[in-house]
Amino acid sequence: MTIKRREFLGHMAAGSAVLTMPAFLQGCGVQGATAVSQATPQNPFMNWFGVDQATAARVMSELTLRGADAADLYFQHARTNTLTLEDGIVSTANSGIDQGVGLRVVIGDQTGYAFTEDLTMPAMLAAARTASSIASGSTVTAPQAFNPLGSGDLYTTTVPWSDVGIDQKLPVLRFVEQKAKSMDPSIEKVAVYWADGDERVMIATLDGRLVTDHRPMTRVTVVVTAKKNGETQTGYSNIAAREEFGWYTEERLTKMVEEAVDRTLIQFEARRPPAGEMPVILASGPSGILLHEAIGHGMEADFNRKGTSIYSDMVGKKVAAPFVTVVDQADIPRERGALNYDDEGNKAGRTVMVENGILKSYLHDEISARQYGLKPTGSGRRESYKYAPMPRMTCTFMEDGPHTRDEIIAAVDHGIICETYTNGQVQIGAGDYTFYVKNGWLVEKGKITAPIKDVNIIGNGPESLERITMVANDARLDTGGWTCGKNGQSVPVSQGIPTVLVSKMTVGGENVG
Amino acid sequence: MSAELRDRAAQAVEMAQRAGADEAFAFATKSRDVEFQFRDGALEKVKDTTSRGLNIEVYANDRFSSHQTTDLHPERLQDFIAEAVAITRALEPDEFRKITPAELFRGRPSDDLDLVDPAVAAISREQRLEWCRSLDGVATDHAKVISATSGIYDGTYESGSVSSNGFSGSQSSTYCWYGTSITLKDEGDRRASDGFYAGSPHVGQLPAASDVAREAKQRALARLGSEKGPTVKTTMVVDSRAAAQLIGRLMNAATARHVQQGQSFWTDLVGTQAFSDKLTIVDDPLIPRGFASRHFDGEGISARYLPIIEAGEVRNLYVDTYHGRKTGMKPTTGSPSNRVIGLGDLGLDELLADVGDGVYVTSWLGGNADNTTGDFSLGLRGHMIEHGKIGRPVGEMNVTGNLKDLFSRLELVGNDVYPYSSTLAPSLVFGGVDFSGA
Repeated sequence: MTIKRREFLGHMAAGSAVLTMPAFLQGCGVQGATAVSQATPQNPFMNWFGVDQATAARVMSELTLRGADAADLYFQHARTNTLTLEDGIVSTANSGIDQGVGLRVVIGDQTGYAFTEDLTMPAMLAAARTASSIASGSTVTAPQAFNPLGSGDLYTTTVPWSDVGIDQKLPVLRFVEQKAKSMDPSIEKVAVYWADGDERVMIATLDGRLVTDHRPMTRVTVVVTAKKNGETQTGYSNIAAREEFGWYTEERLTKMVEEAVDRTLIQFEARRPPAGEMPVILASGPSGILLHEAIGHGMEADFNRKGTSIYSDMVGKKVAAPFVTVVDQADIPRERGALNYDDEGNKAGRTVMVENGILKSYLHDEISARQYGLKPTGSGRRESYKYAPMPRMTCTFMEDGPHTRDEIIAAVDHGIICETYTNGQVQIGAGDYTFYVKNGWLVEKGKITAPIKDVNIIGNGPESLERITMVANDARLDTGGWTCGKNGQSVPVSQGIPTVLVSKMTVGGENVG
Repeated sequence: MSAELRDRAAQAVEMAQRAGADEAFAFATKSRDVEFQFRDGALEKVKDTTSRGLNIEVYANDRFSSHQTTDLHPERLQDFIAEAVAITRALEPDEFRKITPAELFRGRPSDDLDLVDPAVAAISREQRLEWCRSLDGVATDHAKVISATSGIYDGTYESGSVSSNGFSGSQSSTYCWYGTSITLKDEGDRRASDGFYAGSPHVGQLPAASDVAREAKQRALARLGSEKGPTVKTTMVVDSRAAAQLIGRLMNAATARHVQQGQSFWTDLVGTQAFSDKLTIVDDPLIPRGFASRHFDGEGISARYLPIIEAGEVRNLYVDTYHGRKTGMKPTTGSPSNRVIGLGDLGLDELLADVGDGVYVTSWLGGNADNTTGDFSLGLRGHMIEHGKIGRPVGEMNVTGNLKDLFSRLELVGNDVYPYSSTLAPSLVFGGVDFSGA
């Protein structure tokens, strides 16, 4: 019973964006949709939504009656299903269906937007008229029919999640629980959270494209609570991907459980590091959060076309050492952030943001691409049919560099190495960003020594890029279930990085002396 | 309208029982939301939407599940609910999962919460544009302004709830918010930015748009020339807007759920003097025009005044019925309403004068807290306090500590409440806080 809507602006900071790894988010669905009976559709997605070519054309025509540079209909059907294991039993399930169509008109950089959950002609026409009210020009010619583009193959499934019964999932949750409990006698409680989902989108555009995409998603999270000598500690781990049931092998689940248990138990020994500036080593994988916050958001072109990003005047300039290359890439099979097409119906692919230290390209949606006279980079994403798209990241990572992890550790006299994170945030204009380190280690005289926990790290994007003095050759993408929030919209993302050294960052901690 | 939503909820409950549920609790929602965004002299975005949804909780054979859909097509809804019951039956039995006992529905307050302003539904396009132009005019009137985005957000929310054991209720509310975010040219490539938004259920209660924009501009201008602050242990003054968020972090784990799951530093604190005697926090669901005011909560429990902390002593936790049964605690409510912080005597200027030297925090940037231990570390922006006054702007700093310890070192509480939040907090002063910076 949410009434938060009434105060949703209360915590909104100007020009900031947030990355979180919530331990337990909504997951995904079970219910089959029956098509609304209408004239014989040809495309299976049209069948799914009960919308035929003529209907889509009629709505598009209404949407663009007062003029448009671009317009789209974004049909979406998302089903989610979650299961919760707490206190030894799987006693809670949730399922959800979210279905609707978003209607958008764009004129220059102006957007008119409406949506409806009612996919009947009168409801869609009414929404179209509402969205078109931003425009005041003359009618443009809407297509009579839409040309279906081939569907992508980044995350095809043999068995959709809707066909996987609870009886198949329960043993997975129990396996994870038993495995965790068996690993250490101090473990008092284990909770397991399961989520799966199928999302179907169909995008019809003013320039006549019809794009369809079936996007699966799944995630399992394990939360471990342990008690030693009257002290309690909690830790967790999760894995997520655009995958199907068979992805959950015993090996993969066991690795996740081991991580969660390790992260929990080490906290009994971990302390806060001394506060202040010091060299920070970011371990490979999850430390990609650095890229997401320090540069990724600032490279989203909506901030730059408005001049509000610290990177607004930096394209073509040297921003980092020649061994630093930072990429946002959507076409990595089955990653959580992967996309065949973005939510404006453009093929999603690879955008090199920093190449050998030179700032190369922003992440564009159609609005910013038109303004800059460039092709869109396929970066227009939205949380759902309820929102207009904007430039977003997909899978963001740094490519391998010339050093090794051992060389990097050996090079630090007094600093820390960070391994796991819960969340980050960035201030787009000032370029200041933070990420919260859940687990890490002190590095003293070139050696990893004592464990640390719960410190926020803060830095400035361009400064931190300049201060990346070493990059190792062990790049990997994190399989954690990251969710990125921007202007109130959440989208799944992936991130990765090789082990890197940032020569100076401000580390939260305790003041010595 | 309320009757229509209650009927929809009642039909869903009936469908669930026909499909084999022992008990069910449903609520139907409807909302209209309008958004105008205006940037640098021109309208940038208009969004106007009407949305609906149905949520149902199903109890069958000592099993429980919850479901929600936006697809209200009658046949598909019937299939959806039948499947919801089937999902429930496939789970494991849980003796603690029971529908809210009917006695908790009793004593529902009838106070007029004044949450609906009919004028909100009647706000015209011209009115929104006038507000936009007023915000934008003030916001962009400065040589250093790169860009300002102003927004108007208004709407209406209605819900109807029905349970199989006798609950029936409706809640409606309206909201109208406006404000602006401003980005200014600063040193080199840096931009200084901040914003300010005001909101109310009632259009007539809003401050003038031009005043809201002035506040936003003042906050953005205050960021110009911000530098990294020092690494130091000193006094922290948190302004009322940032205080509301800090209180939110403190209260996050004050629930029976967190305690039962072994994930709360509030465990065993009820009845103890856990915090500074300057700290009083009450959950008050019956404040007229409160952002989280209500007659009943999501489980149908009748709303009542609930002291959480009185002069530092913990009185109550947030207890939902399920975790109440599991822990043996009496249910209060599982979800916060308005959180009201007890006020002190001094205004912000007097607090700063009293403190003399320290760090004045105006906003947080990222950071987190461990609910189990209370350990936290937060990024911040603000100013140095120099000779009892607001001094140079600082940022790129962290504050690190433990929430229980921090709130035991609350030294002073202001009398200046930030009104645009369901957490009504004043400025707060904490002694001996660890900051990291340059």
